[in-house]
Amino acid sequence: MTMTKNGFAVELRAATRTYSVGRRAVTALAGVDLTAAAAEFVAVMGPSGSGKSTLLHCAAGLDRLTSGEVVIDGVRLAGLSQRRLTVLRRDRVGFVFQAFNLLPALTAAQNVALPRLLARRRVVPAEVTAALDEVGLADRAGHRPAELSGGEQQRVAIARALFTRPAVLFADEPTGALDAASGREVLALLRAAVNRRARTVVMVTHDPFAAAHADRVVWLGDGRIVDALSGPAGTREIAMRTAALEETSSLGEARR
Amino acid sequence: MRLAWQTVRHRRAAFAGTFVAIAAGVALVSGAGSLAASSRPQAPDRYDASTVAVHSPSVGQDEYGNPEYRSWTTPEAVRIASGLRAVPGVRAAVADPVFYVQRIAAGRPAGDAEASLRDGHSWPAAALGGYRLTAGRPPVRRGEVVAGDPACQGAEPCHGGASPGDLVVPGETVRVLTADGPQTWTVTGTADGPGWYVPADDALRRSSGVRVIGLLVDGDPAAVAQSVRRVVGDRGTVLAGSDRGALEPDAVSRVRWLGAQLLIAMVSLSVFVTVFVVAATCGLGAAQRRRETGLLRAVGATPGQVRRTMVAETLVVGAAAGLTGVPAGALAAPLLAGPLVRAGLEPAGFTVTAQPVAWAAAYILGVVVALAGAVVAAWRSSRVPPLEALRETAAERRAMTPARWLAGVLGAVGGTVLLALLPRVPLTQRTTAGTGAAMLLIGAAALLAPVLIGPLVRAVTWPVRRSATALLVREGTRTAARRTAATAAPALLAVAFTVLLTGMVATIEGVEGTDRAADIPAALVLAPDGAPGLAAAAVRGQPGRSALPTRVLVGHGGATEGLDAAGVDGPDRGAVLTPATAARLGLRRGDDVRLWWADGTAARVPVRAVTRDAPAGLCLPRALVREHDPVALTPVVLLDGAPVPATGARTMSARAYVQIDIDAEGRLVRLFLWVLLGLTAGYAVLAVANTMAMSTAGRRAEFRTLRLAGAAAGQAKLVAVAEALLAVVAGTLLGAVVAAVALTGVRDAVAAELQRAVPLVVPWGAASLVALVCAVAATLASVTPRLVRAETAGSGR
Ligand SMILES: Nc1ncnc2c1ncn2[C@@H]1O[C@H](COP(=O)(O)OP(=O)(O)OP(=O)(O)O)[C@@H](O)[C@H]1O
Ligand SMILES: [Mg+2]
Repeated sequence: MTMTKNGFAVELRAATRTYSVGRRAVTALAGVDLTAAAAEFVAVMGPSGSGKSTLLHCAAGLDRLTSGEVVIDGVRLAGLSQRRLTVLRRDRVGFVFQAFNLLPALTAAQNVALPRLLARRRVVPAEVTAALDEVGLADRAGHRPAELSGGEQQRVAIARALFTRPAVLFADEPTGALDAASGREVLALLRAAVNRRARTVVMVTHDPFAAAHADRVVWLGDGRIVDALSGPAGTREIAMRTAALEETSSLGEARR
Repeated sequence: MRLAWQTVRHRRAAFAGTFVAIAAGVALVSGAGSLAASSRPQAPDRYDASTVAVHSPSVGQDEYGNPEYRSWTTPEAVRIASGLRAVPGVRAAVADPVFYVQRIAAGRPAGDAEASLRDGHSWPAAALGGYRLTAGRPPVRRGEVVAGDPACQGAEPCHGGASPGDLVVPGETVRVLTADGPQTWTVTGTADGPGWYVPADDALRRSSGVRVIGLLVDGDPAAVAQSVRRVVGDRGTVLAGSDRGALEPDAVSRVRWLGAQLLIAMVSLSVFVTVFVVAATCGLGAAQRRRETGLLRAVGATPGQVRRTMVAETLVVGAAAGLTGVPAGALAAPLLAGPLVRAGLEPAGFTVTAQPVAWAAAYILGVVVALAGAVVAAWRSSRVPPLEALRETAAERRAMTPARWLAGVLGAVGGTVLLALLPRVPLTQRTTAGTGAAMLLIGAAALLAPVLIGPLVRAVTWPVRRSATALLVREGTRTAARRTAATAAPALLAVAFTVLLTGMVATIEGVEGTDRAADIPAALVLAPDGAPGLAAAAVRGQPGRSALPTRVLVGHGGATEGLDAAGVDGPDRGAVLTPATAARLGLRRGDDVRLWWADGTAARVPVRAVTRDAPAGLCLPRALVREHDPVALTPVVLLDGAPVPATGARTMSARAYVQIDIDAEGRLVRLFLWVLLGLTAGYAVLAVANTMAMSTAGRRAEFRTLRLAGAAAGQAKLVAVAEALLAVVAGTLLGAVVAAVALTGVRDAVAAELQRAVPLVVPWGAASLVALVCAVAATLASVTPRLVRAETAGSGR
C-alpha cells in the first residue's frame, strides 16, 4: 500500500456538502477539515443531524462534496469517474454500516470474498476462512445472513471490510443496533485491526464507550467540527464533553 | 455469474414469474414451430409411384405469391409425354388430366364436395400412384369407368370421393355428377386407390388442359430427372425428391396456409407478451432490490458489473426455462395435429415429426426474449447510487417516469384524434384505423394506469370508506400506485382486447350479412347443394343471370398475369372490360386481349366494350369459357323466375346464400379470435399472479408491522386479497371503458357510412370471464406466498 508524503490515510479539506430539498438548501457539512493518519482510530461524535453520516459518506466516496477536497490514500476523489471511484472504494476502502451490510443471497464466506470477486481477483478459500476466524466466525462460513445474529453479521461485515486490506475503514454506528456484549466484540475487532494490522479506522458513534476505543475523538455540530480530544480518553471524559457541547448548542438554539 | 446463480436460487419467488413466462413462451414457440415445420407441401398419394414429375411452366406469381401456371394443351402434353418415353430410365410418362366427378347417391351429390373437384382421372394415371385393378377390366369407351376403392386399402385416411356408402361392383352402372351435368357410367372394374378412372381420351376431353406429366422411372430419380430436364427444356419444370411438394393441390396448400397464419399469430403474440412480462418482472424485482443493489455498488461493483449480474440472472432463468419449455412444446405438438386437421387448418393426414431446428430456434428465442426483457431493468439498476443501501424504507419510487408520461399522453391523444377523424377515413380502411385508435387508447391506459388508478380506487371504495380494512387497502393501493398498476395493467389489457376484438368482429359480422345480401339484386338464388358448384346442366334453362368463373393468363407489355374472368351470355364473341381492368392492361375498345385459356390455348379476343356496368373486370363469352375450361362450375344463379329443379342445386334466399360464406369465414375468425384471446388471458393471469406473488413476498415486513399493530392474521390476509381484487377491478373497469369508447367510435363511423343504425354488440360474457379469471389468479397469488414462506422457513437450514 503506497502512502502519500504526508502519511494521511484520509484527508478532508474544507469539506462542504449541501442538499437541496425542494427550493431550500440544507447544509449538512460546512467546511470540515479532518485527517486520519495511518494506523489511527478516529471517532466522530455529535448530535443527530450534525452531519456525521454525511461526513463519512463523503470521505468514503459514497457521496460527493459540494466543495472542498477528499484525498484517500493519496488519491483525490474530485474528478474521478463513477467507475474509477468504484474501483477505489473496492480496493482501498472498507465499510461497516449500522445494519444491512451483507447480501442476503450469499453465505458469510461469499460475502467476505465479494469485493475480491468483483475485482476479478483470485480468492483463496483458506484466506477467507482465516479472515472469518479472525472475527471468531470460522465455523459459520457457510451460513447466510438470515441465519446469523446481528452481532455476527457485523463481525462478518468487519471481516469483509478488512479482507481487501483497505487504506481506511469507515464505520457508521457499527454498534448502534447491537447489545452491549456484541458491541464490545465489534469494538475490540476494530481496535485490533488498528493495533495489529495498522489499519486506519474512522468511526461515527453516539456512544461514549465506543468512542473511548479511539485514539482521537472529534465532535461535529451543525456541520462543523466543534471540539476534539486527542490521545486515548476515558468514557467518562467523553461523555462529559458531549453533555457540555449539547448544553451550549441548546443554549445557542434558545438564544436564536 | 456465480453471484447471479446464487441470487436466483435464493430469490426463487422473484424469478418464478420470469421462469413461467419464458417457459410458456418457449413451449409455445417450440410447439408451433414443430407444427409449422412439419407442415410441408406434399405430393398427393396418387403420385406415390411417380418419383419424377414434370409440371407445366410457371409464368409468375399470383397476388398471394403462389406460382401461376399455364396448362399444357392436350396435344402439347401428349407430345411432351411421348418425347419423354425415349429418355433412358423412363419406363412410362403419363399425362395426368384432372376433373370434377362426384357420385350421386339418393338423388344428391355425396361425399366431400371440395375434394371431388380432383377425383376424376385418366385410367393410365392410376399407375402413377401404383394403383392396380382389384376386379374387372380397364375402361375402354366413353361412359366406362374404373371405380376407386372407397376404403383406400385402409391405409391413409382418404376422402370418400369414390363410392361413398355402398360398394360398386364391375358391371353395375353409377350415377355421377360432372361439370356437364349428371351422367350414368358403367363400372368396368375397381382399383385399390381413390378416385374415378376413365379412358385417357375421355379424361383429356373433360379436363382443362394438363398440368402434370408423371414419370415411372428405373434407377436413380435424381439422375433421370437430370436427363428429363434436358429434354423438357423450358416447356415445363421437372420435379424430383422434395421438390415434388409443388404437386400439392392449391386447395390443400390454402389449408396449410391458414394453419400457418394461426401459428404465426400465436408465436408473435406470445413472443411480444413474454418480453413484456419478463420486463415487468425484472423491473419489479429490481425495484424491490434497490437496497441490495446499492450495497453491491458500495462494496465495489461497477455499474457494468451490476448490469451484467442482473442480465446474467435473467439469462440463467431463461436458459433453465427453455430447457423446460422446449420439450413441453415438442411433446404437445403431436397432440394438436388432430384438432388442427378437424378445424380445417391442416390437411387430412397431417402428422408432426421431430423438428430439432424448430426446437433450437425456440430455445434461442427464449434466451433472446429473456435478455430483451432484462435489459431495461438492468440498466436502471446499474444507476442505483451506492447510498441507496442505507435507505431504510423501501419507499415507493416515482411510478411515472417522464418517458412513460410522454408515451401515455401521446398514445391517448393519438388514439382520440384518430377516433375523431374516423368518419373521414375511407370505409375500407376504417376498421384498421379504428383498431389502431383502440390499440393506442388501450396502450395509453396501461401506461397511465399508475395515475388513473388512485382516483379510480377512491371511487370504487367510496361506499365502504369507514372500515379499517378498507382504509388500509385504500391507502396501500394509492401509495403503492406502481404495484397496483402492475397488477391492474394485465387485467386492463386482457379485458380491453377481449371487449374490443370480439365486439368488433360481432358488430361487423352483423353489418356484413345485410350488406352483402343487399349487393345481390335477386331475392332468390339457385345455389349448389352438396356440390362444389353448379354443373352446366343445372344452369341451362334457369330463369335468371349467372357468370361462369375461369382463370385466364393475360399478356400485357412483356408480362403475363393471371386474371379471374367471368363467362357471361352475350351475342358477340368479344370481351367486355371494366375501365379499371382496361387501364391496368392498357387496352381500349377495338384492341385484342392476348390471353391463354385455362386449357393452355393461346387466343386473341377483341375488346367489344369498356364499361362500368361489366359484372366482372374481364367478361368473356360463356360458350368460349366452357369450351376452354370444361371443369368450370357456376357458383350461383340469380333467379328472376321459378327455377327448374336440377341435381346438386337448391333454391334459397340471397340472405341465406351470403350467410353460408359469412358463417364459414366467421368460424375461422372466431377460431383465431378465441385462440389469441385465450393466449392473452393466459398471459394476463400469469402477469397478475406474478406481480401479486412478488409484491406480497416483498412486503413481509409491512404485513408483520400490520400484525403487530393489532391486526389479526386473517385481517392482514384480507388486506392483501382486497388490494389484489381492487387492482383487478380497477384494471377491468378501465379496460372495459376504454375499449367500449373505441368500439363505439368504430360503430359510429360504420353507421355514418352506411347511413343506418348499426347495433353495437358488446361481449359482456367473454369480458366478465376474462376479468373473473384474473381476479381468481390475483387472489390465489396474494395468499400463496405466505404458505410457501411457511414451508421454506422450516427448510431454511
Ligand atoms: N439525502 C439528503 N437529502 C437532504 N438532506 C439530507 C440528506 N442526507 C442528510 N440530509 C440532512 O443533512 C443533515 C445531516 O445529516 P446526517 O445524516 O449526516 O446526520 P447524522 O449526524 O448522521 O445524524 P444521525 O446521528 O441521526 O445519524 C441533516 O439535517 C439531514 O436532514
Ligand atoms: Mg447518521
